[in-house]
Amino acid sequence: MKYQYWIYATWLNFVVRYRKTLLGPLWLMVGPILFILTIGMLYSRINQADSNQFVPHLAIGIIIWTLIVGFVAGSTTIFQRYRSQIMQGELQLMDITMVGVFTTVLQFLHQVIIILIVLLYYKIPINAYTIVSFLGLALLIINGVWLSIVFGIIGARYHDLNEVIQAIMRIAFLATPIVWLPGGAGYGGVMGKFLMYNPFYHYMELIRAPLLQTPISPLSWYVVLTFTVVGCSLAYLFKAKFSRVLALWV
Amino acid sequence: MQSMPENRIVQVENLELKVPIFKPNDRHLLKNPMGFLSDLYFTHAKRRMVKILDNISFNLDMGQRLGVIGPNGAGKSTLLRTLAGIYAPTSGSVNIRGSVKGLFDITLGMNQEATGLENIYLRCLQMGLKLNEITSLITDIVNFSELEESIDNPFHTYSSGMRMRLAFAISTMVKPDLLLMDEWIGAGDANFRDKVKSRMDALVSNSRGLVLATHNTGLMKSLCTHGIVLSKGRNMFFGEIDEALDFYQQGRASGIII
Repeated sequence: MKYQYWIYATWLNFVVRYRKTLLGPLWLMVGPILFILTIGMLYSRINQADSNQFVPHLAIGIIIWTLIVGFVAGSTTIFQRYRSQIMQGELQLMDITMVGVFTTVLQFLHQVIIILIVLLYYKIPINAYTIVSFLGLALLIINGVWLSIVFGIIGARYHDLNEVIQAIMRIAFLATPIVWLPGGAGYGGVMGKFLMYNPFYHYMELIRAPLLQTPISPLSWYVVLTFTVVGCSLAYLFKAKFSRVLALWV
Repeated sequence: MQSMPENRIVQVENLELKVPIFKPNDRHLLKNPMGFLSDLYFTHAKRRMVKILDNISFNLDMGQRLGVIGPNGAGKSTLLRTLAGIYAPTSGSVNIRGSVKGLFDITLGMNQEATGLENIYLRCLQMGLKLNEITSLITDIVNFSELEESIDNPFHTYSSGMRMRLAFAISTMVKPDLLLMDEWIGAGDANFRDKVKSRMDALVSNSRGLVLATHNTGLMKSLCTHGIVLSKGRNMFFGEIDEALDFYQQGRASGIII
């Protein structure tokens, strides 16, 4: 376990990417801010929703979504991108996975500032319930680890996975309540009927609901915890079975 | 790990390795211009398993240094990669006592946008060194690679000679029990070549074992005690280096080894 490598490689990914820019990693905040301002103004008119309710929902939603997409979409090609390191025999599967996860999390941490500003601006209370959000976040990050191992290995063997995921994530964005508000009791609207079959919604709820002071349905806990346990076991099996043939696939 | 005699470094038994190969349809584009379109949309590369290493067995004891002999495509690099633990055997076993380090493609795996110094940290951490160990090695690496103040420039601005020198200086910092080499490293200008030679000699004499694949017979004779002759992934001969080289030359002449 090369902990120092995980941190250094993550830091270097960042430094190198933003070295030649003026704003540096602050560019990570520009995209979401523009998105929130535009969609916030536009959709709160179309949906006739209260902007006090809609904008925090949108802002937190899009930032958590960016984290989810980072995990899911980044995982499918991760081992191909580290081909030369794998062929030198110096890095283990877990080293590459952790650098991938850390890089995604570090990007997210820059965007957390936007969430803080929104919470302050709309005077949403911060209390003991807010802390549950960190639990949800920790679960999501753990899921990012198994996802990277499982999807990374399948994606190395079948390059089709990346294309499949790209296609799915675009629809999933619309199927998850980010630019729209679910109706009463958490399930409503056109997509409402299918909402509980959308795993992304449940991950989102565990992090967003405590911040917005809305209740979390027990179903969301069951779904996320089940996914975490099943996913981690799968990752364990995949790692044991495929990590040694990975070099042949990438 | 299977039981190995005390003084044994490498023990390879019935090693077999199958590798998936994607073979696109061969097509002469001038004769068949439509091949462009049909390759893109209709036909797909076929995935099939190819046996690269076939039933290879040998042992290497302390103090023995092995030369891997064979024509191009015989499986020499693949054998080294299997010894390094990068490829896992499809069947059979590979046992190695102590640490292994392969010097393959040493300039790969550098971050092109990062500076030379950052690459030193990155590569050394990758090789499993700790930060405090690296800090004490920095001066040595910078001096050896003769990069001086260029060490703070991005790696992609380096000439190929500078890249080679830096990569070499970093890769030879760890001293493994078993050293694996795919072709002897001897690039650079005359002055640097001497430094490389003395560093390599020190590395070889400090490691307990060496496996070297090279086409340079003279070098192999001077460095290796034993030789293994490969042809199309098969183990044709294993024994003393002079006998192995003789066997290879006769085999090439008579057409047994292709």
